[in-house]
Amino acid sequence: MEILANFAQGLSIVLQPENLMYCFIGVFLGTFIGVLPGIGSLAAIAMILPLSFYLDPTSALVMIAGVYYGAEYGGSIASILMNIPGTPAASITCIDGYPLAKKGRAGVALFSTAIASFGGGMIGMLVMAVLAPSLAQLALSFGPPDYFAVILLGLVAASAVSNGGALKGITMVVLGLMLGSIGIDLTTGDQRFTMGIPELRDGIHIVIVAMGLFGVSELIASIRDNKKGSATQSIDYNDFYPSKSEWKSLFSPILRGGAIGSFFGALPGTGQTIAAAIAYAVEKRISPQKKKFGTGVLPAVAVPEAANNSATQTAFIPTLTLGVPGSPPMALVIGALMIHGITPGPRLLTEAPDMFWGLIASFLIGNIMLLILNIPLIGIWVRLLQIPYKYMYPTIIVLICMGVYSLNNNVFDIWLTLIIGAIGYVMRLYKFEPAPLLIGFVLGPLMEEHLRRSMLLSRGDAMVFFERPISATLIAITVGILAFTAYKSISNYRRFKTSSSQLTK
Amino acid sequence: MINNQKVLLGAGLAALALTFAPVSIAAPGSWSSEPVRIVVTFPPGGTSDLVARLLAKHLDSDYGQKAVVDNRPGAAGTVAADYVSRQSADGTTLLLANNAPFTISPTRFKSIPYEPIEDFTHVAYIGASAPGLFVQPTLGINTVEEYIAYAKSKELAYGSSGVGSISHILGEAVDAKLGIQSIHVPYKGSSPAIQDFRAGVLDMFYDMVVQNKDMIADKEAIAIAIASPERNPQTPNVPTFREQGYDVVIENWVGLSAPAGMDAKTTETINDTVLAIFSSDEVKERLIELGITHSAMTSAEYTQFVADSISTWAPLIKSAGIVEK
Repeated sequence: MEILANFAQGLSIVLQPENLMYCFIGVFLGTFIGVLPGIGSLAAIAMILPLSFYLDPTSALVMIAGVYYGAEYGGSIASILMNIPGTPAASITCIDGYPLAKKGRAGVALFSTAIASFGGGMIGMLVMAVLAPSLAQLALSFGPPDYFAVILLGLVAASAVSNGGALKGITMVVLGLMLGSIGIDLTTGDQRFTMGIPELRDGIHIVIVAMGLFGVSELIASIRDNKKGSATQSIDYNDFYPSKSEWKSLFSPILRGGAIGSFFGALPGTGQTIAAAIAYAVEKRISPQKKKFGTGVLPAVAVPEAANNSATQTAFIPTLTLGVPGSPPMALVIGALMIHGITPGPRLLTEAPDMFWGLIASFLIGNIMLLILNIPLIGIWVRLLQIPYKYMYPTIIVLICMGVYSLNNNVFDIWLTLIIGAIGYVMRLYKFEPAPLLIGFVLGPLMEEHLRRSMLLSRGDAMVFFERPISATLIAITVGILAFTAYKSISNYRRFKTSSSQLTK
Repeated sequence: MINNQKVLLGAGLAALALTFAPVSIAAPGSWSSEPVRIVVTFPPGGTSDLVARLLAKHLDSDYGQKAVVDNRPGAAGTVAADYVSRQSADGTTLLLANNAPFTISPTRFKSIPYEPIEDFTHVAYIGASAPGLFVQPTLGINTVEEYIAYAKSKELAYGSSGVGSISHILGEAVDAKLGIQSIHVPYKGSSPAIQDFRAGVLDMFYDMVVQNKDMIADKEAIAIAIASPERNPQTPNVPTFREQGYDVVIENWVGLSAPAGMDAKTTETINDTVLAIFSSDEVKERLIELGITHSAMTSAEYTQFVADSISTWAPLIKSAGIVEK
């Protein structure tokens, strides 16, 4: 079993004290950020990104991954106790988690979500260990036209399945593409949209966009909400472990959630929120307890947690094997690796096997750490929710400013982050999701790069995209998704029209 | 008596002259009680950054001169150069200078916020590394002559590490010198270009030769020629363009520059210290590994070198068609 040998090799790398430490820092920070309502894993990863530049790439990757899946563990705590999702993906957990807490079963709910997250994480890890190498093998034969087609598919998928609706999703992707075109044109060397500002010549740094959109704007939003910052439900530690029949009722939802989550995590451009929402919707149709969904049943909190956590692991599959982010935070991972001089892509597995298998093994170690952090040490996180935000959020703003300044040692970047944060807040008010924007921002320049490279190499013949089997297939899938989305929105519109015309009659 | 006095006076004057001669004033050693900042035009991790860190380490360990590396990447090195030009010339801020802000940017960009000669004290030259031409082994080409013959029968595509990079400028210079035309495919840095080369997407690429010596040894790429005046001892089997009858010399140099108006004594001390560090065996070996050939220059020679390289590169940059409109 080659996979086992590789995994053992990865394990030996993660078990080095230094990597263990960064893994722990990652999952701890992730849980911390996940517990705090409003700040998601994107903001957390954006904040540690500048720090990761100074680490060994493997340690950096292990730490970033830890933040990413750790946040999904922590995210459910505020959902259950306060009915406020700690992360966007945990909003699904609110639906049944909070009713459970109101029934006095917060402890069982927290325990079940931790177990479900662990189960989902392990499923995601297995899927990644088995699938990623073969996908990378396939991707080795990818040329620039094929990459262009993959990225196009990712962009369309990201906008079509975004939570706020396809039109808003596409708008945000396009805005991201536009922001991404600022700076020097890779093919001609000309400046685009730099308005004579030298700091814009190299484009806007991804950390600035991410911190602005996800850090600053979320902080502004939470000031406006004026949240008090105290958990309204307490935990009864006597009622912490599920009963035998409840254990049984958790098993298959965790498997199903893990499987659905793995699929959507690996689909470029989607992510754990969509995975959790779909897993919940599916479970609601097939669960024996489906009638009670929404009133506070354990399978209904286990399913989205298993799904969102498995999605956080499989999101690394397209990220590392194709260089196409599986979810918005993965866009930051690509940025982090590129700063280390590592271009994620099919060669990563053969050129940096230690990093790849070390990361997979770190999923096991990290999830075990999280189990410990979230079951015996749950009290710490509950108490964290009682710290007033007036102390918490100014501290986070200072950290954001420090992180952004450290990118280029330039104050301009801090101002830019604040401006983007303000714009992000306005977008939020009108329910435009920032995540598709980030995907567009990262993928746009990549897509352009591969498009123009394909055209250069084909001597200007656009047929190259339809002649190659891989790119032709991917473009066909993309057209299919677009057609389906268009059909759906047209039929929705018709239904809306008929119902409204009936109303006027 | 008189003769003796004259001799004595002469000896005294000679001694005095010696004392004031630049060589004897300065000796390698620390020049500031403050820590020195070495500003690098690239983010951490590249060759330039490694040279700066090597220098900082030895300044401290060998001469007790504390030094830190300050990475200020951006706008082809002009952000860092502009920043350094506005600092105090007391020897506490130095720029790890290279082609990008001093040789390429002045010609390439419409305006840059500094004068490459007047706004700096060019202190010490460190060394240079050379790029070369690599082709697919399947093409069956080994020499410049064979390359010309092949390229005339079929338009080839070459990868570079970006528009305005040394590899791009070399590619265009070689095309012009050899009287051929090829398609330029720019990448973000050399490693993605090499990835595509390995995947068979590109026919050829230009990049630093020594950095790719493993590819040459593994026969994954044929190095047709290197653009240095002499062969590099690390890659003795790679001939130069010059020895194959085509005078193409384009090197990536690094040096140490400071804000304008630094006093002669500090300049000499820094020059002597830097030269002493880079001629020690240990450091020399590291430089060779990085593909950099070190040579010693005085501050004046280095200033002349920068000025000369601006004028020798200008026509290359103009003919590459990358001058900003």
